[in-house]
Amino acid sequence: MIGKARSPLARIVPLALGIVVFAAGCASNAPQDTLDPAGPQAKQIDNLIMPVFGVAGIVFVLILGGAVWVGLKFKAKDDDDFNEFPDQVHGHFALEIGWTIVPAVILALVGIFTVITIFDLAKKPADAITVEVTGQQWWWQYRYDLNNDGSFDEIVTANDLVIPTGRNIALRIRSNDVIHSWWAPRLAGKMDAVPGRTHPLTIKAPEAGEYIGQCAEFCGLSHAEMRIKVVAVSPEEFDAWAEAQQAPVENPTDEAAIEGWKIFAGTCTSCHTVRGMNDPGAVEGDAGPETSTTPFEYPEAKNQLANKLARQLDQGTGLPDLTHFMSRSTFAGAKFDLRKNTDACNALGLNWATTDDGLAKCLNRADLEAWLRDAPSMKAMHPGETMAPDSRGMPNFDLTEEQIDQLVAYLITLK
Amino acid sequence: MATTDGTLALGPGVDAPVRPMGVFARPGSTPGWRGWITTVDHKRIGIMYGAAALFFFLIGGVEALLIRLQLAAPEGKVLSADLYNQVYTMHGTTMIFLVVMPIGASFMNYLLPLQVGARDVAFPRMNALSFWVFLAGGIVLNSAWLLGGGADGGWFNYAPNNGVMFSPTHGIDFWNMGLIITGISSLVGAVNLIVTVLNLRAPGMTLMRMPVFVWMSLVTQFMLLFAIPVLTSAQFLLLFDRLFGARFFDVSQGADPLLWQHLFWIFGHPEVYIMILPAFGLISEMIPVFARKPIFGYPFMVFSGIAIGFMGWGVWAHHMFASGMGPISVAAFSVATMFIAVPTGVKILNWLATMWGGKLRFDTPLLYSVGLVTMFTIGGLSGVTHAVSPADTQQTDTYYIVAHFHYVLFGGALFGFVGGWYFWWPKVFGYKLSEFHGKVNFWILMVGFNLTFGPMHILGLQGMPRRTYTYRDNYGFNFWNLVATIGAVIIGISFLYFFWIIWKSWKDAKAANAVLSGDPWDARGLEWMIPCPAPAHNFDVTPTVTRLDDFWHRKYAEDESGRLIRVAETADVSMKGDGTGVHLPSPSYWPIVLASGLPFIGWGLIFNLWFCLLGGLIVITGIYGWVMEPADDPEAGHGHEDDHPSDSDDSSAAAEVAAPEEAALVD
Repeated sequence: MIGKARSPLARIVPLALGIVVFAAGCASNAPQDTLDPAGPQAKQIDNLIMPVFGVAGIVFVLILGGAVWVGLKFKAKDDDDFNEFPDQVHGHFALEIGWTIVPAVILALVGIFTVITIFDLAKKPADAITVEVTGQQWWWQYRYDLNNDGSFDEIVTANDLVIPTGRNIALRIRSNDVIHSWWAPRLAGKMDAVPGRTHPLTIKAPEAGEYIGQCAEFCGLSHAEMRIKVVAVSPEEFDAWAEAQQAPVENPTDEAAIEGWKIFAGTCTSCHTVRGMNDPGAVEGDAGPETSTTPFEYPEAKNQLANKLARQLDQGTGLPDLTHFMSRSTFAGAKFDLRKNTDACNALGLNWATTDDGLAKCLNRADLEAWLRDAPSMKAMHPGETMAPDSRGMPNFDLTEEQIDQLVAYLITLK
Repeated sequence: MATTDGTLALGPGVDAPVRPMGVFARPGSTPGWRGWITTVDHKRIGIMYGAAALFFFLIGGVEALLIRLQLAAPEGKVLSADLYNQVYTMHGTTMIFLVVMPIGASFMNYLLPLQVGARDVAFPRMNALSFWVFLAGGIVLNSAWLLGGGADGGWFNYAPNNGVMFSPTHGIDFWNMGLIITGISSLVGAVNLIVTVLNLRAPGMTLMRMPVFVWMSLVTQFMLLFAIPVLTSAQFLLLFDRLFGARFFDVSQGADPLLWQHLFWIFGHPEVYIMILPAFGLISEMIPVFARKPIFGYPFMVFSGIAIGFMGWGVWAHHMFASGMGPISVAAFSVATMFIAVPTGVKILNWLATMWGGKLRFDTPLLYSVGLVTMFTIGGLSGVTHAVSPADTQQTDTYYIVAHFHYVLFGGALFGFVGGWYFWWPKVFGYKLSEFHGKVNFWILMVGFNLTFGPMHILGLQGMPRRTYTYRDNYGFNFWNLVATIGAVIIGISFLYFFWIIWKSWKDAKAANAVLSGDPWDARGLEWMIPCPAPAHNFDVTPTVTRLDDFWHRKYAEDESGRLIRVAETADVSMKGDGTGVHLPSPSYWPIVLASGLPFIGWGLIFNLWFCLLGGLIVITGIYGWVMEPADDPEAGHGHEDDHPSDSDDSSAAAEVAAPEEAALVD
């Protein structure tokens, strides 16, 4: 009985566990897999938890196997006389003390390693690039302080977090509205973005590539589509990218693009910033450039609350800064690809839109146009009336197809 | 009890004020539905708690199925993002506050007085009040579906997303008002049951002779008593923020949103034990019966329950490991959380040791009990992996957590409850649920449960966040989500099957027309001394207790060699249910009247303050009528006199079994 009951169990339970771990760990195409850590921080967590999974697995086998074994072994037979009683054991003090202390000791051991890891991960990294991460409904903004001198360089991006490989990145995570949580599982554990607070998180990408994540704290309507993409590139490529990001945009010369520029200046700039953008109205009259670098501010009457918040948090911007829009691979909170998600296009990397050929091949024009046509149908948002107090997200501006084409023609100049 | 004698019994020639100040007479025993709405009988109240909870379980279950259908495949189109957020919020809130907690309350209401050998709870009218207030709260919460949509901030409802600016519909107001009202119910119930257990135990039942279920319930009620006010306080802050422009959670005014999280989880973690401890108590009653052995290590079971009750207050921030509290707090709560696994582990091993060496009769209640032990163990082990806080920063807010707490609350609490239903059903309704169908149903539920929630461990570790209305095709989430949805459908079928089993068993029992003995399982607790179904007056004579499992030891004793032998026929040591001269507390209209005012106050705060006035008037009328109500109405006779003709002139009988409410008032 004992041998029979135990041996299938001894096979089945570890097998089941093995399947679970295998299915979770080795699933192909699971870009957010926590069991496939890449960065040193995520690996440190993995190294800590794997033995705990192992111990838990052993306890799992012992308890569940034990329960099944006890159930089979002591099951009453049909012909048992229920007036014949088993031994009336009321307890066993030493045994019970034992199974109080043994788990406590095991857990204390786990606790020691846990505490060490907690403080280790909380250490301030040396020689890091500081990036301020700001969550807002429903996208992430990144501001860079490359030399770590406490003042931000003029690099403000959205959705894609571009970092150099092999270097610690000190994220300073904040929020502009509700609580979000920044999480790129293969790089590090998650850290909440809480309005009014700044939380540190260190990440490091050992290899070039994309590390996928998404907002992990429920933040309202489009929580599911507040996505994160960390793009790790070689230090040289990163330096080139950083330099390009700080350059002002060039004014468009193409006729359709100039029309689009006017639409953008008239409609989009109430929320979106393009640093260094000249006033399109001044182009023809050559009245000299008038740069629009003023940080975004909600009109006072329309949103007092958000204004206070914005000032207090020193965000400097309201909705995604589009200065070098075409250097990104996604838009709309990374819900949609800006650069088509094909191997050929992904291979072009950060510079996919710098050549006419790349732009023609890889621009996801369909989604971008659909977004301009009717953004609220593309992503769950609270657009409301433009900049009404509770408006979050891009409204439908009732643009004509011609206007949409012109806007796209302008946007693709924002390289 | 003698002290109550002179005070309660009205002397000859004294006119009882039957209709003071023109208010209704206190109803006597009332048949039909009026009997139910005016009842103060803890057993009927327990049944109503259970029935209401099952009704809300249907609502919560439909919500769960909607969630699973939406997530069956990537980019699901069953629900919009907005509706999904409402449905998952209401699913969690409903299952916690309107299903698991009231099912626990149902068992505690029904069983505590029986298990401690009491006539009723200490304050029978307050007991009725706590049920009706609970129902009122459940109605307010769910009325949101008809009045503009449910809450959409999650059951945890974090600030500042719960503010008007980010959740402008009234859903969260309904959530707030509904739970403030059910909180009143929990508090009233907690006071009542604590006093009952501490003051109304039968002679000889010392604390260490109480059944484990009574102990676990006592711990639960103390936790409720201290946890609910914290939630209510937080909810009042939110209520003032949302309805009256206060700024408690307004970051631009300097608020720290983590305040809400701390308040919520100081309630929320004890809440977890509030939900699970009653089920622990239930299986601690059931396993010994079917193992034919006493519970292994009774003192350890009791003290580990008490330890959980205390330690449960020191671990709340493990829900906030990613919230940026800083490494010192995280380390402290991490270590504290690990050690709370110890008393829980002790319980698991003691249950197994109870079964060890026993003669296990695998009737349905034992199947569910073992189901709890095993499934809860899985939930407990995944819980330990969350206590490793760096790992928790990978796990929290993913489906790994969803898997964890469903193993704890469904595989734990609900399995225990369903087992308890099979076990105590004959005591409550006088017929057994079908054993055959019960076993089949157990295995269906077991398969469905594990198919639903097992894969969520994998999904979570693969990085699928919770509370997301959609997921992408190429993230490796498709297969296990589909499996989980299939499992959820199986769970749905198994509960429909359960309802069918209830109906079928009832029909068969009616056809067979057999009288069930009072002790169909050869069980141990005092509740099995009395007939099935339990008579209105519980015990003919208050039993005197000399040891743990007193009823069992009236049937069996150990001979010289330590073997257990039968010393008395069950019928000889059981009560006949023919108590005479038993004076029971009279029914009352006022609990339901008082409770019915509360929803109007809730709706009034949301829509129009005049409704508050109306609700307030109803509440005040209820309180006034309650206070002015005579202790009972001699003209109308006593409650339940149709069952048991009472003789109120028999002062000795009346003194012995004096209605606990009145006795407590005098004391």
